[in-house]
Amino acid sequence: MTTTPKKHMGLKAKERLSNTIIYILLITISIVWLIPFIFLVFESFRVESTYQVGYVVPKQFGLDNYINLFTKTDFPIWFKNTFIIGLFASVIQTIIVLCMSYTLSRLRFKGRKLLMNVMLVLGFFPGFLSMIILYKVLSWFNLTSANSVPGLILVYVASSGMGYYVSKGFFDTISRSLDEAARVDGATRFQVFTKIIMPLSKPIVIYTILTAFMAPWGDFMFAKYISHATSAGMNVAVGLQYLISTPQNLSAYYTMFCAGGVLVAIPITILFMCLQRYYVEGVTGGAVKG
Amino acid sequence: MARVKLTDVKKVYDNNVVAVHDFNLDIADKEFIVFVGPSGCGKSTTLRMVAGLEEISSGTVEIDGVVVNDLQPKDRDISMVFQNYALYPHLTVFENIAFPLRLQKVPQEEVFKKVTEVSEILGITEYLNRKPRALSGGQRQRVAIGRAMVRNPKVFLMDEPLSNLDAKLRNQMRAEIILLRKRIDTTFIYVTHDQTEAMTLGDRIVIMKDGYIQQVGTPDEVFDQPKNLFVAEFIGAPKMNTFRTNLIKENGEYYVTPFGSKLLVDGLKGEELKKRKIEPQEVILGVRPEHMVLGKDADNDIDAKILVNEMMGSELHLHVVTNDNTELIVRVPTVDLSHEERAKLTSGNEFHITFKGNVMNFFDVESEENLLN
Ligand SMILES: Nc1ncnc2c1ncn2[C@@H]1O[C@H](COP(=O)(O)OP(=O)(O)O)[C@@H](O)[C@H]1O
Ligand SMILES: [Mg+2]
Repeated sequence: MTTTPKKHMGLKAKERLSNTIIYILLITISIVWLIPFIFLVFESFRVESTYQVGYVVPKQFGLDNYINLFTKTDFPIWFKNTFIIGLFASVIQTIIVLCMSYTLSRLRFKGRKLLMNVMLVLGFFPGFLSMIILYKVLSWFNLTSANSVPGLILVYVASSGMGYYVSKGFFDTISRSLDEAARVDGATRFQVFTKIIMPLSKPIVIYTILTAFMAPWGDFMFAKYISHATSAGMNVAVGLQYLISTPQNLSAYYTMFCAGGVLVAIPITILFMCLQRYYVEGVTGGAVKG
Repeated sequence: MARVKLTDVKKVYDNNVVAVHDFNLDIADKEFIVFVGPSGCGKSTTLRMVAGLEEISSGTVEIDGVVVNDLQPKDRDISMVFQNYALYPHLTVFENIAFPLRLQKVPQEEVFKKVTEVSEILGITEYLNRKPRALSGGQRQRVAIGRAMVRNPKVFLMDEPLSNLDAKLRNQMRAEIILLRKRIDTTFIYVTHDQTEAMTLGDRIVIMKDGYIQQVGTPDEVFDQPKNLFVAEFIGAPKMNTFRTNLIKENGEYYVTPFGSKLLVDGLKGEELKKRKIEPQEVILGVRPEHMVLGKDADNDIDAKILVNEMMGSELHLHVVTNDNTELIVRVPTVDLSHEERAKLTSGNEFHITFKGNVMNFFDVESEENLLN
């Protein structure tokens, strides 16, 4: 209230200018970020050509690519494979991660620190270092090629305990006296976990489910190696790449490839929209919890 | 309703801190026991061993004649109120109180009846649908007590339940706990660092220091016959005046000679000294501020100069200094002071202090134990 009106205007103008600059910057960034996706959508609806053309907006819109994708390629199999992998991986992985994190957060046992450190250090190594060995092991059990769906589930789930870090951090913020109160009130450790810790950790549970479900849709390296050029064992990423892997195929299937790309986004988007509210809470929840 | 017995209970934490040594205590059915002592003396640790939240390193804890060392908290039939209330944030007040009943699969009607009853006693019926975060500290405390009461446990444990409340609310809740105790009528173990709480609530008080029990007794006993210097100074506010002086014997009578005075040890204390044939010796003499009175006899009384005069309403707290610069506190009730007398009790003025033999406490200079134990 001490600023004169003139100064006030000056401040306001300054603020407006900086806001304008910020908006221009943000809009530019989002355009750059959105363009590939918009191009992808346009390509997927293009009817007049199945290969790349020199312009963006299709001359003729239609669902041909989508229909062909489902009728003329193995896309339904790849989609189903990925969906199954995502479903199992997210359920199993979530259970393992939460149990692991709760144990590390609440129980004190010999070697706890060592275990946590070893897992942290192992996590620094890129996963593909173990790829060849994993392939060998899986092939002994006949879990490659056409059987790669259970194989891939195993691969994704096996290392999931190492992802304890975020949820352990979250559990650490929940006061231990809640556990103690519940135990005195008559709860077993398991009931403490299900009736107290889980409901309080909804955001982190959702976060774990989401990340576990999403990972298989984008995984290429493991999926390609383990499915070993067998279409029946491919996930969408490998399958779609396989679709356009030769120059002839590229011109025949390019627009279908784009349609597949759009379709992949759908289940993830739906799941994300359903759980979004919790997801945001989950990522920042530990910090704002009083 | 249960007898709780601790025998040679010891707690050693993983970092080799010995938090509790040789704790022996027999708590009667329906007794209200208070553990009191300075922070870190092992009160909570002992309570948590009774609750089953802390492993017992050695010794035994019995509830109703059953050794519970290896029982989970849920199998001990106890309930506990925590210092930070530990309410379940995701549950309403109703569900918080109902939680122990739900675990026991009590039928819905009965849950409703019991929760309603408890919340009426505690005056929290209006808040039953709220989440804990929408409650004030005092209300949360009531919910925590309600959750502990609803099950009619054998033993009711409370760890500093009032220390997060402001002074006024604390006094109010203290009074309510006294009333509540009559209603619940079970065995209570209550932990506090506040001697006033201990004195007002406990049937018996356990005074602890550095993991050792110093004295167990009724409020009267620990106040009138402190076992050692620590208890004497810990119980009572303002704290007991203590100073070194000589205990002498002349013509069969005992005298003390603090600060150049000579005061007769008359009354019961004098009799006791004679009966036990206590040797004349240097002692630590302890006299409570309220037992020091304004003296008339300039020759035999203690000379003192007033440093600060604190007006507390019904009484004055005089901080005085003696001829060898020892500081003492004297409590003077204002009710029988005339205007002139009161005017004289201002800082810088000199006056005399005396006290009777039966308010004197004699402690050994070395061991600090009470000579008349
Ligand atoms: N979990 C623990 N691990 C190691 N030492 C502990 C633990 N809890 C308490 N202590 C130690 O035990 C002693 C007694 O603690 P506590 O029973 O909490 O005291 P009080 O409740 O009387 O303040 C203290 O010295 C404290 O530092
Ligand atoms: Mg404590």
